[in-house]
Amino acid sequence: MEKARISGLQLFMLMTGFLLGSRLIINPATEAKNDGWIAILISGAGGAILLTLYTSISLLNPSRTLVDILRHQFGKSLGNIIALFYIWYFIHLASLVFRNFGSFLVTTTYPRTPMEIIIAFFALTIIYAVNSGIEVMGRLSEILVPIVPVSSIIIGLSVVTTHDFTAFLPVLENGIKPVIKASLNLLSFPFGEAIVFLTIFPYLNKKKSLKKITALSVLLVTGLFLYIFFRNIIVLESNFIDQATFVPHVTSVLFPGINLEPLFDVIMIIGGGIKIISTIYAAVMNLNQLIGAANYRKFTTCIVMFSVVLSIWVYENIFEVFHWAGNIWFYYSIPFQIVIPVILLILSLVKKGRSQNEGT
Amino acid sequence: MFKRIRKHLGREKQENNSGTVPMNADDPLPQSIDKVKEKLEEFFSDCSDYIQREIVCGEDNDVRILVAHIDGFVDKKVLNQDIIRPILDYFSCSDRPYRAKYVYQLVKSCIISNNEIEEIESMRQAVYRIVSGDAILFVNGSKRALAVGVKSPHGRQVAEPDTEVSIRGSREGFVENLSTNMILIRKRIKNPNLKFEIIQLGTQTNTDICLCYIKGIANDEIVNEVRRRIMKIKTDAILDTGYIEQYITDNRLTLFPLVGNSEKCDKLVSKLLEGRVAILCDGTPYVLTLPYLLIEALQTSDDYYDHAFFATFMRLLRLFALFISTLLPALYVALVSFHHIVIPFKLIITLAASRQGIPFSPFVEALLMIMAFEFLREAGVRMPKTVGQALSIVGAIVLGEASVAAGIASNLMVIIVAITAICSFITPPLIRVTMLLRFVFLIIANFFGFLGISLIAVVVIIHLCKLRSFGIPYMTPFSPLTISDLKDTVIMAPIWAMITRPRLMLQGDTQNTMGTKRQEVNKISED
Repeated sequence: MEKARISGLQLFMLMTGFLLGSRLIINPATEAKNDGWIAILISGAGGAILLTLYTSISLLNPSRTLVDILRHQFGKSLGNIIALFYIWYFIHLASLVFRNFGSFLVTTTYPRTPMEIIIAFFALTIIYAVNSGIEVMGRLSEILVPIVPVSSIIIGLSVVTTHDFTAFLPVLENGIKPVIKASLNLLSFPFGEAIVFLTIFPYLNKKKSLKKITALSVLLVTGLFLYIFFRNIIVLESNFIDQATFVPHVTSVLFPGINLEPLFDVIMIIGGGIKIISTIYAAVMNLNQLIGAANYRKFTTCIVMFSVVLSIWVYENIFEVFHWAGNIWFYYSIPFQIVIPVILLILSLVKKGRSQNEGT
Repeated sequence: MFKRIRKHLGREKQENNSGTVPMNADDPLPQSIDKVKEKLEEFFSDCSDYIQREIVCGEDNDVRILVAHIDGFVDKKVLNQDIIRPILDYFSCSDRPYRAKYVYQLVKSCIISNNEIEEIESMRQAVYRIVSGDAILFVNGSKRALAVGVKSPHGRQVAEPDTEVSIRGSREGFVENLSTNMILIRKRIKNPNLKFEIIQLGTQTNTDICLCYIKGIANDEIVNEVRRRIMKIKTDAILDTGYIEQYITDNRLTLFPLVGNSEKCDKLVSKLLEGRVAILCDGTPYVLTLPYLLIEALQTSDDYYDHAFFATFMRLLRLFALFISTLLPALYVALVSFHHIVIPFKLIITLAASRQGIPFSPFVEALLMIMAFEFLREAGVRMPKTVGQALSIVGAIVLGEASVAAGIASNLMVIIVAITAICSFITPPLIRVTMLLRFVFLIIANFFGFLGISLIAVVVIIHLCKLRSFGIPYMTPFSPLTISDLKDTVIMAPIWAMITRPRLMLQGDTQNTMGTKRQEVNKISED
């Protein structure tokens, strides 16, 4: 572990940026059409539960990172194997986000630039950020993340001239099934992905406020999702949302008077940047601990390179990414996001109870 | 790799130093005046400015005193009236008895009327005092000598500094003379807590460096760290505070200034009162202040003398100017080559019309014009003032009119370079940083448009977040956020509302400092 501390505000910003992440460019809960707000509310509640699970694990194993916790609870060899799977999961997650943003920029603003170049350039910045350490990452998000909600609120207020406030009615037009599907999807992506933060939680300077910070962050993010959803549906209506690839981009095109969408596109990248930074940091730190090397910075470049290559190789085009993210990612994530954390929580509770009994 | 180069450089320097130690005389003073004379003549051979005079007086000519000094460095009138005349007067009167043994004591305590007397015991000290402008009295038969401060006041008068002009407030600026500068500070802080620590640096130049701080306000850990870093400097010459700045800075591979400098007394005093440490150096009017934070580039002393509303407006203006001066040409290039869509339709027509017939891409055009401006600026700095007018006329005509008429640059480009140039002068401490960053942003904008600009901007922000000046994060109070310190940043509170001092600078045991913030300061020792 680094000898560093981040403040509550920094963790809050880092987490908010992480959770907003790719959902700034991909409309939240598209599958549920005009019932998306229900899906967002359900997934927000579920996200709160999931994050409580993660924070509880972190609080029960104070100042241990993910690898430490796994080793401590599962024993060394099994813990190491599970940690390896987690590292793979993080790298995969990072590559997914890389691909999302690469495709986003190529589709919207840079149609004639090769996506590889854009992702590589993006990756260089990320290597620099990760190598600067968790403290700098915290400060960076403290400066950058507030721009995101402010800009999306500005867009929302500006496009409100073209509106249809009844667009989200009727409620539950297509039944409950797509709503459930959308909410589960939104639950695993982004809320469940916050498992990454098990590596970052131990750096918080005041452990007591951990739960408060995560709860506030989930609240803010759910609120922003709702806001973005209503903004998009009021302006674009659900049929159009279903057809568009990057819905928030389309909304910002409607900005009256002047075409500022290249600027807004760039701002939307902030979320993805923070997300990749956190994920890569978690992967690198865990790998570093697993191997027991002195300096994690040696791994950053290779892991970033690996996930960049992965992001370009694995998917043919953006629709395949969407299909993967929408239909398969949830099932793929269940063991990492729910099963193993629940087992970890139970094991930690049992161990804590046992040690308390011994103590008394 | 840089480490290796640095190490190599360091080694070379050390070797140089060890080869040229100026004197080997750490031995005590010889008692006999003839021997002293002999040694001094050896040291000061071929020094035409060295003067020594032997006074022989007393009843049997048994009082022999050698006065040694550097010509022109000491005030001859004072030397003659306060030292030599009283000695001659005393010993030539036969009614005043004396014993040869106690001549030294007599001279020291009742004959010399000068106040600044110090005893010295070694030849090295004696030589050092001579070259730093004191007169030395060697009395025959004594193991000690007297150093008398009769330095003549040399150098400029205190005047208004040219580099930092203010509309309101004191017009006194520092001068080259260290003691004058110290008086200028002391005049404003009449308080024994104001400390001046003198340290000599430079094996050849023996320059006086003065560490200045207010005890009780300045953080002891920072003061100790500054002292430690100054002591670590091993060099043969210190000619300006700029030398010290480069030795003691936290990060030697950064564009951003991590040590502040000022020529204005009132500005320096306000920094001292905020808990900063100042370093004065003999021979230069520039005084260093540490730690230096990024926000100080936006602050001027005028802000505090004026109403807070205007000051806030000026701060916002300066911040905006800072962004414009780094980003405007890059944004223009990005807009024209990538994002035409952002430009309003009517403007794009005029833009296309003005760019018609220009053979270069917007990037080359911008590069040419900015280079031309940088040439002009550099020439303006170096040229004698009398030629300056010719330069400005040439610049205005060539840059403004002829380049457009000749079809090398468009009208809009001229406007953009002009605005950029004006804005770059608004924040003087960052002028060189913005100049370099402007080129970086320009080049990247040519390849990646807004994306490139924003990614490089993020890299710059990461770099800024990484920087520390004497343990204090460079971006304080924005990041890490210190809400109580935001009162003196972009939005400025009136002076009566600024009740607390900046937290990070404070002395550790003052109640305003919080535990978490102290950790930041404690980091110094870890680094």
